[in-house]
Amino acid sequence: MRGSSGDGTSGPELGLSLSTVGEYAVIAVSGEIDMYTAPKLREAVRQLSAEGSMLVAIDLTPTEFCDSTGLGVLIGARRRLADAGGALVVVCSNPRIRKLLDLTGLDKVLDVQEAVPSE
Amino acid sequence: MNAKYDHRAEPATVRFAFTPAAAYVRAARLVAADVASHAGVTTGLLDEVRQAVGEACTRAILRHREAKIDDLVRIEFSIGDRFVAKITDNARDMRAQPTAPPAPAAPHGDARPNDHDTREEESLSEEITLIVLDSLVEDLVVTGPDGEKGTTVSMSWPLPGGASPAEH
Repeated sequence: MRGSSGDGTSGPELGLSLSTVGEYAVIAVSGEIDMYTAPKLREAVRQLSAEGSMLVAIDLTPTEFCDSTGLGVLIGARRRLADAGGALVVVCSNPRIRKLLDLTGLDKVLDVQEAVPSE
Repeated sequence: MNAKYDHRAEPATVRFAFTPAAAYVRAARLVAADVASHAGVTTGLLDEVRQAVGEACTRAILRHREAKIDDLVRIEFSIGDRFVAKITDNARDMRAQPTAPPAPAAPHGDARPNDHDTREEESLSEEITLIVLDSLVEDLVVTGPDGEKGTTVSMSWPLPGGASPAEH
């Protein structure tokens, strides 16, 4: 649900769109990931693993903005999925967010790819 | 009102404060980018200003949560030779005040999450904010905390025709 916050302004909504590509459950993230919206993404990953999807791809290509809270969610999701025998792929061909992953060195820690692995 | 700033006059200033809740970080980011844009910060740097101010505000909120205080986070932008952003939290150095018990968090701020994973991600985020700020912002100074005050994150970006920090 995308409920507006009722104050008449366009809220910092996070759009999550779920699909399946090959073996991966894909979450495409639009909007802004920050301290306010990140819990929604964290919960979506948890929900998928609770339903048995252990191969998860988070697609940040349509993401407008991501801050360190969002990066924290990616690291946490990677760890939880790996502990459960699964894996997280971060899909990102968005230069702004690629730059953030490079700056923080997380491009070395996370499995960052241009597209969801389809084989 | 004249929207054009005269760089030779006293620095134009925008100052505000917000309750340390995650919902307000976006507002701070948007104001930062808007004020920076009006000040003349080049378009290529506006994303950096927006990201950096957001990170500094996130860090301030996490510090207030950690200290269990609901004081306002303060922001000041000033436009002089450079565009300067200062984000100040009020989380004092607790080790300097062993006898002062932390005040309970008031209902307006975000309560600290109880969930273990969330807490772990938060302490991770606090570290990442500084890593991001350090690699993103050329002119970054973090002062404090001490027994009296919290920390201030000061950052600045060049303005057309302004002095570089090395000339001071």
